[in-house]
Amino acid sequence: MRSLLGHGAVLLGFVAALAGIASTAGGLARRRPSAVAAGRRYVWLVLAAGVLATAAMEWAMIGRDFSLAYVAANDSRSTPLLFRVTGMWSALQGSILLWALILAAYLAAMGRRFRRRGGDPVVGWAMVAGLAVAAFFFGLMLGPADPFRHVAGAVPTDGPGPNPLLQNNPLVAFHPPLLYLGYVGFTVPFAFAIGALVTGRVGESWLVETRRWTLLAWGCLSAGIVLGMWWSYQVLGWGGFWAWDPVENASLLPWLCATAYLHSAAVQQRRGMLRVWNLSLLMATFSLTILGTFLTRSGVVESVHSFSESTLGPLILSFFGLVVAAGVGLIAWRGDLLRSPGAVDSPGSREGAFLLNNLLFAAFAFVVLLGTVFPLLAQAINGQTLAVGRPYFDRMVLPIALCLLFLMAVAPALPWRKAAAPVVRARLLVPAWAGAATIAGCVLAGVRGVLALVAFGLAAFAGSSALRQLATRVRRSGPAGLLGRSGGGMVVHVGVVVLAAGFAASSAFGHRGELRLTPGQSAAFAGHSLTYLGTRDARYSNRTAVEGLVTVDGRGLPARPAVSQFAGVTEGIGTPAVVSGPREDVYLTLDAVPSTPGGPAVIGVVVQPLIMWMWVGGGVIALGTVLAAAPDRSQRRRRLAKSPADEIEVTTDLVSGDVEVSRGAERSPVGVPGP
Amino acid sequence: MSEVTTPVESTPRRGRTLRIVAVVVGVIAAAFIAVLATRQPTEVGQAASPLLGQPAPQIDGASLDGQPVSLASLQGHYVLVNFFASWCGPCHTELPNLVALARAHPDLKVIGVAFNDSSTSASGFLASGGAEWPAVADPDEHIALSYGVRAPPESYLVDPEGMVVAKIIGGIDQTRVRSIEDYLSGGGSR
Repeated sequence: MRSLLGHGAVLLGFVAALAGIASTAGGLARRRPSAVAAGRRYVWLVLAAGVLATAAMEWAMIGRDFSLAYVAANDSRSTPLLFRVTGMWSALQGSILLWALILAAYLAAMGRRFRRRGGDPVVGWAMVAGLAVAAFFFGLMLGPADPFRHVAGAVPTDGPGPNPLLQNNPLVAFHPPLLYLGYVGFTVPFAFAIGALVTGRVGESWLVETRRWTLLAWGCLSAGIVLGMWWSYQVLGWGGFWAWDPVENASLLPWLCATAYLHSAAVQQRRGMLRVWNLSLLMATFSLTILGTFLTRSGVVESVHSFSESTLGPLILSFFGLVVAAGVGLIAWRGDLLRSPGAVDSPGSREGAFLLNNLLFAAFAFVVLLGTVFPLLAQAINGQTLAVGRPYFDRMVLPIALCLLFLMAVAPALPWRKAAAPVVRARLLVPAWAGAATIAGCVLAGVRGVLALVAFGLAAFAGSSALRQLATRVRRSGPAGLLGRSGGGMVVHVGVVVLAAGFAASSAFGHRGELRLTPGQSAAFAGHSLTYLGTRDARYSNRTAVEGLVTVDGRGLPARPAVSQFAGVTEGIGTPAVVSGPREDVYLTLDAVPSTPGGPAVIGVVVQPLIMWMWVGGGVIALGTVLAAAPDRSQRRRRLAKSPADEIEVTTDLVSGDVEVSRGAERSPVGVPGP
Repeated sequence: MSEVTTPVESTPRRGRTLRIVAVVVGVIAAAFIAVLATRQPTEVGQAASPLLGQPAPQIDGASLDGQPVSLASLQGHYVLVNFFASWCGPCHTELPNLVALARAHPDLKVIGVAFNDSSTSASGFLASGGAEWPAVADPDEHIALSYGVRAPPESYLVDPEGMVVAKIIGGIDQTRVRSIEDYLSGGGSR
């Protein structure tokens, strides 16, 4: 029954996507806006299909329908409800289903948002592109990634459950869906870029229309990546959060391109420049999400995320090739229309800084991509197996990240077009002093290490520069100053700075050790007093555990690092316990359980300063994204100014105070001086 | 949708430049896709490695529990150098196979190398699975890089003369256990 419902829903999604493409493209070809608008209705069918298929899968997972191969492989009678629900995305086929569901929801939202302009060719072509992506993912589920396949042979009475690491922490309910909301969300700006290129309407309006969609996807991806780091830290037991694994890199690559795009899109919106570059960045962002899916699903690169490998490689790679060919071909075809009407007047201007920022992000993405695929390239060129490890990434990425921090401090203080030195000096004076004072304070406090000091100094420089901008805006507009691109953007900057400071401190000044303690014995480690109280056996619905009871600094309830035994898995899985604090985290693992009752246990300890602030920084970034998506003063004014017959675009840069009004092809600054 | 496009002049030269750039990007992308399309999944058991037939890179140092470990001192025995991590799913799957293999063949020595893992978690992982072989930490990934390891689990079989005879990517399952046993009985083949 569930299998029939699931198969039917997947088929419905695939057929509806194809029908939507045919209807919309047919209307576009015959120049019949009503037919184009009618094509939009199919997205609701695609959404219904995605919801039905997901409901069928969850029904099977929750109802433990082991007649489905996917359930038999990823569910068990002892798996708690939460992890049965999240089990849907704990392996390949279910992940593709989640992708299809989210894409269908995005397309439906897109159809609803642009319902009054359904006949517009840009919207029509965007819908065709979006539905084509949906047809691909539903098509995968009809063939090699069928989530509703029956088990071969007799139906088992129980299964192994999800991978133990995927049923060890509730964060698994948030991290993958948020990442997918990010990856899949980039389909919308990508689709509009295709629409703009096909119709030749490559001005700024499609970019303005899709700004919030891009922001939403970017915010979800950022939150998903930070949650992934947190999950890795909380679950894996090595005290780290990022290993430059191909799957991690696959999420970072589109994030880097999208971050560059969010900055360069502001330049295009404001000055009409960087059109080719922006389109290329959007194409790259979307292509890299597909490439990341290929790298992680085909098994061509070795990854620690070996939860799911498959034979989907050739299909996903072909789709990647198609996306790249379409993007490059369309940009080349429309080359004549993509000429920028202006140029960067001065490198010491906001657009000059954004350009440099984009080059740095592109270099960052290139370094990460090269490190990820270099083993494959080397093998293809000279047949050698090579490894690219953490030293390569650390050495290459660190200087770029420091330069980006510096730019984060300087760029918001630069006005558009040309910067007057005294103005910039006045704006940067306090932040520069804050940076210098931070370095001096750290040195006095005994912090050593040039790189860490530089990172702290630059973080303080960039953070105070963002706070100064925010203070100026709030003084002028009240709390509304926090809204919109500039306000929200500065809040995001504060979040990035907080995250960077936590990253630098925890990476540079961590302590690791191991203590062999008998019950009641205490030991000092990195300024903390740890007392081992003994062990206890615990039983949970999906695992049994031996838990060590350890008090840290004699305060609070004992932390309980454990070795857990999941049904169907022979070895114990380490479950760390983290005592978090604003100054530092004490991370405990139970490395050896006592061999005799009352005997000594071995407790692993990792003490890392400020690491909690990485997660706080991630939260601030998410908050900033929401604020940036809210309409700011200029957008509210534009709404008032807008009438159907005569559309006027007013863009205000509230940082510099410049106001610009555009009517048709005219664009005239009616500037007011900055603060 | 309203357009606020600035007027665009016809600029054949710029259009031509863009097309040339697009062709270059397209060719690079096609070559890249061709490389990806011709790679084999790394799951395939035994893999090519420039180390095959070469002396195994040295492993010297203290084990996770403080005992000295030296690959060179094990000459005269087959040695399986196993790169693992406590957080890696396939390592959990392969551990019982490795433990059974080591118990069935006391002449086969195993050295574990903890990959991107704290020594504490790594030793806890081995102990909980009943592994009795020594393991070393590799905090800077020097050993992993000298062997060309990209991600755990990976294993290298070193013959009694100290030469690498097999590289195994991925977890050691029953098929791979049998091919290691082939080597031990003198009939090893790649």
